[in-house]
Order: sequence, then structure tokens, then C-alpha cells
Amino acid sequence: MKITKKHLSKSVIASLAALLLPIGVQAATADAKKMHQLYEDNCASCHGSDHGGFIAPGLNSESLKGRSPTALRSIIMTGSFDTLMPPFYGRLTDDEIRGLVKHLQATPKQANPAWTIDDIKASIKVYVKDESTLPAKPTYEIDDINNIIGVAARGKYGRGLGSKAVFINSVTHKQIGEIATGTAAHIIDYDPANPRWAYVKNDTAEIFKVDLYSMQIVRSVKTGFNGPGLGVSRDGKYIMAGSYVPHNAVILDAKTLEPLKTFELEGIDPDGKMVSSDSGMIIGTPFADIFAIALENAGQVWVVDLKEGFPVTKIENVGRHLHDAFLTHGGSKLMVASYDDSIVTAIDLKERKIIKKLEAGCVPHVGGGAAVEVDGRTLGFGTNFGDCDKMVVSVWDLDKMEVVKQVPVAGGTESPAAHANAPYVAVDIISKDRRARTVQLIDKKSLEVVKTLDVGGHAYFPEYSADGKFLYISAGYSGDEVVVYDSTSLQKIASIAMESPAGLFSHGRTKYMTRGLSPDEMKGAK
Amino acid sequence: MRLMVLSGVLMLGLLSTHSVNAASIYAGQSRAAAVCSQCHGIKTPSADAPFPPLAGRDFDYLKLALEQYRDKTRKSDIMNALAGSLSDDDIANVAAYYSKLKP
Repeated sequence: MKITKKHLSKSVIASLAALLLPIGVQAATADAKKMHQLYEDNCASCHGSDHGGFIAPGLNSESLKGRSPTALRSIIMTGSFDTLMPPFYGRLTDDEIRGLVKHLQATPKQANPAWTIDDIKASIKVYVKDESTLPAKPTYEIDDINNIIGVAARGKYGRGLGSKAVFINSVTHKQIGEIATGTAAHIIDYDPANPRWAYVKNDTAEIFKVDLYSMQIVRSVKTGFNGPGLGVSRDGKYIMAGSYVPHNAVILDAKTLEPLKTFELEGIDPDGKMVSSDSGMIIGTPFADIFAIALENAGQVWVVDLKEGFPVTKIENVGRHLHDAFLTHGGSKLMVASYDDSIVTAIDLKERKIIKKLEAGCVPHVGGGAAVEVDGRTLGFGTNFGDCDKMVVSVWDLDKMEVVKQVPVAGGTESPAAHANAPYVAVDIISKDRRARTVQLIDKKSLEVVKTLDVGGHAYFPEYSADGKFLYISAGYSGDEVVVYDSTSLQKIASIAMESPAGLFSHGRTKYMTRGLSPDEMKGAK
Repeated sequence: MRLMVLSGVLMLGLLSTHSVNAASIYAGQSRAAAVCSQCHGIKTPSADAPFPPLAGRDFDYLKLALEQYRDKTRKSDIMNALAGSLSDDDIANVAAYYSKLKP
């Protein structure tokens, strides 16, 4: 209600101004400026600050060419069902919506904007000056900090009061804390060396350093305009963030969030073209003091050594349009998804070269990935989010690096969850119809779908609790709850309400590196 | 506000004269999930949304409001458009679903 009022008074002021100002003064540029601001304040966190698209399609003169302004206006008013696009009716006036449509259809995709190391430095905000004043242990009841599951809650509008990181005790299924993230929280990563720190990145590339013991933000920094890439080094000393807008990545001091070095992401793609590139996944590994980063468009994986000067080893020709990845073999091997080639490329981080390109399904999106040990084999599970005839979850033997099976599932999938103590690998069906309400469970031994859960909302990002006893699933979009199941009986046992929950991140990941592996796998790495 | 909604639920519980069966709640659920919840949420709308909550509201009120929106005797450009195609059954089902939900 408050918002309607605010917009109402704004529009009253605007129309008063319109009455008072001579027509000539209301120049087109002022209008364009206003529309640009409206875009930045309402649309850019999903559609990209450069109008080029991020988690939602690009909105520019090229992508909207020939589209009916009336149809676009009605999508903005009512939102788009089965997607994250919310209804802006009541938040934007009809004149603003009409103005936006006109503005978007006339605006080309913008050039890569600058966001330099100085901008990053200047953006640091300090909320707790003296970290020694923080409590020495959690201020709430919890047996093991690994029992924390962090939820990236998007909020209906991708910004506002509903946008936050929510932390849940996965034994009691009760919320233990939350931090406001301004725009949609996207990624939560944990310090593997010190259990108290979490890092939360939102859709406008701000990173919040969170003290899990007191459940508050200690510091924040803005590393770009959009982009989810975020990793923490094995010693907890560094974090690395990568952006879609602009095309860069940065290594930060994890303690202070001071930027130490930025990287321009560009390189020669598998087709021989020099391209500027979005940042894909960034990952720290228990195997070595390195970060690995995927250059989405350049098709390269860079390995950055965490030593003087942060030197880079470039692995080329990994695939076309890289995105996410997961670790195996004590973190010495990296499985990288390549959207356009429908392959997952195995990389040896020790030798820093490609081991093999493995067949996947349509548009592999491995999410956090999953790996399980079954009958002496280590099997990797890869989800594929493309809608095509071959809707499968790929299973690979990670020792031999070969395809074991392409398991037929009901639709496109985005993220697999597994746990050493749980019998099923859970995959989220995301095809845009009733199937999106469901999660399917693949039996680890038979490698077949044995059960379909009707979770509700847009069910995605399954995650097991650190003890493997419970399966958490986001009933996202308008589902507005996180649903908890017993991992074995698959009975629904709890629900935690929040606005548009998305990614679920167990603190247990610091223990088992990749979901599904036993903690013993980590011991081999150290 | 919350008190009013709560007492509304209580009264509905006490005076419930409508034979709301499981089938109509289920039918209402699928339509509500597909359409209404986009703005009004299931249990509650977004904290940032200018839309009223529907969960736990009085069945007769919801039914009447939807009928009025459909027949354009109550004006709202967006609700007139959305309710325009609803049948009497659709309206009864959606009202049954939301009125039975705990906010």
C-alpha cells in the first residue's frame, strides 16, 4: 500500500510539474533520463544494466523489434505467468509503463559500462568496524554450524523488502536469521576455513559479508552491475567475484572486501574470434590455493594462482557458452557445463588441461552439481535445462570420465541434489507448465526416476541438510515457501514461508565439497 | 486488519453453510496458483505489492467481488480484464480455495 501512495504522490508532482513548465522545457532528453532511471530501478537487476539480458531476456531495440507495444504493456502490467516477471500494475503508472515500452524499443544494448577497481573500493560499506566485538559463538541454539541452510530469497519484484538471504536450522526447520539484500539474493557461499563467515551476492553484484554467529552484515561491496559469479578460497583469505555487466572479475581480500586485482574477461573463443566475455562460475577448491573461473562467451577456463600478482593460466577451447561447474577427486578435477555444445568438459586443475569432453543433454546446467559413490564408482550427475526431445539427467563415471547413462526425466532440469546418506538424487523439473511444480527423484543404484514430488510454486534448487536426513526444496515464483521432506520416506514435514525463494545453500557443502560426496573425499585433498 | 481477517476466518468456521467440497477447492487451487497468486500470492502478497491478500477472506465476499469484477459493476481495468472470462464455477472454486486458506 505504501508503494502505491509513493508512486501516486510522485505522479502528482510530475503532473504538477508538467502543468507549470512550458512545453519546450520538457525536453525529450529529460524524459529519456526518467525512463532510464525507471528501468534501472525496476528492471535492470534481472534484464541487465546494459539492456542485454541477465537472468531475464535483453530488452533493447533489437530484441523488441516488431513486438506490439500493447502486448509489451500488458506483460509489464500483469507480469508473465510461469516466469519470475512480476506484475507492475499498481507499482508503475500507466504513463510510466507506456513510456518504458517506448524507451526500450528505442534503446540499443548499451556498451560495456566501466566499473573500475576504484569504483569497487569506493563502494565498500562497513557495518561492524571492529570484528573483535562480535560474539565468539552462535547467539542461537545450534549443534553444528553445518546444519545451516541459506536461502536466496528473491522477493516478488527482485528487489525490496522480500529480497534477503534467510538462514534456517535444518534440524529444527526454523529460521535463525536473515539479512536484507536490497535486490534479489542469488548466491550464498561459505568460508571453508572459518565457520562464522558467509558471503551473499545479489543480482546487482553486491556482496555482503555476513557473520553467521550474530546473523548480521559486517561489510558490503559492489563488484559490478549484474552477475552471479562468487567463490571463496580454501583458506578463506580471498573471495573472487565475476560479472556479466561489466565483463570483469575481481579478487577481494575476504577480511576487508578491499579489491586486490581486477581481470578483464576476454579471449579467443572456440571459433577463433576474439570476444569480450561474461563471467560464468567461479570456484575455490580444497585442492589448491587457486580460483577457477569460466569465461562464458570466450569458452575458456582461467586458473588464478593466489600468490603475488595473481598469475593466470588460460585453458582454451573448453566449449561454447560455458556456465557452471562442480569439483571432483578432492577438488583436482572440474566438470564445466557448456550450453551450446551440450557437453560437460572435464578439466584437470593440476595439469591445467582438458581431460575429456563428455556428452550431456540439451543445454547442460549443472547447478551445484552432484557426485555419489555407488558400488565402488564415483558417479557425477548433470542436469540439463533445455527443452528438447531428449530430456535427461546425465550420469558420468568420474574415474573413467565416461557416460554411464542419460536418465530420462519429465522435463528440463536445473540443479541436482545428493547426499552420501540419502537414497535419491533429486532433480528439479523446470519446464514452463505444471511440471515446474515438481521434483523428480533418481534412485542412486538403479539410476531411474522412482518418484515425483508435487512441491508447488516453481519448485527448484533441491538441497539436502548436512546430515542427509532432510530434503529442502524452494517452491519459488509465487509458491512463496521452502518445503522440507524426509529424505527417505519423502513425507512433507515442514514449510518455511518467504517471498520467491530460489537457491538453497547448505553450510555442509564446506564439508563435502560437492553434494553427494562423503566428507572423506575432502580428507584426500589435504 | 489481521484481527479482522482472523475473526472472519473464525466466523466462517462457525457459520459455514457452504458445501465446499474437496474437488472445488482443488479446481480453485489450480486456477489461483496459475492466475490470482501472480499478484495476490497464495497465503500473502509480496511485502512490496499494492495488492490485497485473499487467503482467509470471507467466501461470500470473494465470490461477490469476482462477480462484480466480471460483470463490470465494480470497476478496475485489470480485474475486469482478468475476471471477464471466469465462469460461475470458476468463481465459486477460487473463492472456496482462498477462503479456506490460512493467511
